[in-house]
Amino acid sequence: MRLSRGSLLLVILVFAGDLLAGSLEVIVKDDKGGPGSDAVAYAVGAASAAPKKHAVVDQRDKQFVPYVTAIQVGTAVSFPNSDNIRHHVYSFSPAKKFELPLYSGVPAQPVVFDKVGFVTLGCNIHDWMIAYVAVLPTPYFQVTRQDGRALLKDLPPGQYTVQVWHPGLKGQPEAFAQRVDVGGGTKSLQFTLPLKHDVRAKRAPGLTTGGYR
Amino acid sequence: MTLGIVLLMLLSSFARAEWRFEGQTGLVYDSNLSNSDRSADVRDDWAWRSDVAAGNALQLTRDLRLNFGADLRGEVWDRFGAFNTIGPGASAGLRYRFGLGRQAPWILLENRFGYDRFQDTSQSGYDNVLNFQAGIALSDRIALEGGYAFESFVAPDDFYDRQVHRGNARILFDVTSSLQVSIGYIYREGDVISYAVPPRPDIARFSIEREDEDEFGQPLRTAYKLLGRTHALSFSVAYQLMKYASVQLSYEYAVTTHDPLQYENHIVEANIAVAY
Repeated sequence: MRLSRGSLLLVILVFAGDLLAGSLEVIVKDDKGGPGSDAVAYAVGAASAAPKKHAVVDQRDKQFVPYVTAIQVGTAVSFPNSDNIRHHVYSFSPAKKFELPLYSGVPAQPVVFDKVGFVTLGCNIHDWMIAYVAVLPTPYFQVTRQDGRALLKDLPPGQYTVQVWHPGLKGQPEAFAQRVDVGGGTKSLQFTLPLKHDVRAKRAPGLTTGGYR
Repeated sequence: MTLGIVLLMLLSSFARAEWRFEGQTGLVYDSNLSNSDRSADVRDDWAWRSDVAAGNALQLTRDLRLNFGADLRGEVWDRFGAFNTIGPGASAGLRYRFGLGRQAPWILLENRFGYDRFQDTSQSGYDNVLNFQAGIALSDRIALEGGYAFESFVAPDDFYDRQVHRGNARILFDVTSSLQVSIGYIYREGDVISYAVPPRPDIARFSIEREDEDEFGQPLRTAYKLLGRTHALSFSVAYQLMKYASVQLSYEYAVTTHDPLQYENHIVEANIAVAY
């Protein structure tokens, strides 16, 4: 079988695109030099891809799992309840206000996050339960690991604006944005973020009488 | 028919009920266990205090929760064993939250009924506390709480019957995710028992009742029951050790008066608390 010149050119272009796809390693530190875990690193460029159709935020042992979820705008998120008690998930955030009243098991419908922004989740029964959903305008994102690092892979060549958001970030991610040209290979970017004190409600017994009671 | 539906709803709720187990153990020091006004009569002591409780939370509607449970409390004093006590109790309460989330204002109406058995059995009796509390979060780190409680203690020996009205207010501050502090004020008005070495005609003049007692050894003291007003300031700290446990320290300075009698208590507590 012989390939025509046109077909050969197409195959070369496709493979060349893959070969040129780059990666970005994002290293996040807090302003004291510690690793910035649970931060969302995302790259916004000209290229885009269809959103992943579905994501899951589970509820296990009276905790949201994971603590931070990153999705592309338009993604549907389901909130299964894996505990044998009921939960009541809600959000007041402007990017997505919703409420899943007292339920067990899996809600019938997932929640579609159709607006870019950062959403705080809570449970009306267990005040210490809190989680975040970062709704992003790009398919290129990762949540940083315990060591504060995240790897954004398979970025088509081009120029990107890389931003990092964290639940405790003082200010807006735009203030810390960095621009980068992506070609083949891996580039590294470092972000140092000013973070607020973590004042999540505690599960251990505290002083208040109004929380769990 | 209606009763059947209500029972069915309750059974259904019980099936989804959420159990909670709590325990607390630690030391308490009272600088004036004898509630005496004269320094020569003052007796201080410390005790090992423990509470265990099992409770259930039934979320009846989005905003309304029914809590009920049972508990067992105990105190063992170092020197003055007459005050050693153990007591089972049961409580029930309704909490209503005006909206969703931990920052929504709430009110709580609860009642605890228990029996306190003292080593000095004449002090033993039934204890009932009706408590109304309300709270509001000013921010994600600062909250205000306040309320009113009516405490009633009924003993076979009428001398130990007591009724107390109590009002309280406090501010809570989450310093970090692990550290919480609170500053509070408590006003109590009602029966108190003050011990003094007789003769004390000045106290006898306005006391409701009196009895000669040997709880504090020699010299024998007279216990005076009188109507007192107490102003107390408290400072508490809770530090989360792990997911289910915290250590709690608290200090209370209380001044009780019935003119011309006045006595002070410094009460320090250190506890480890667990909840599951």
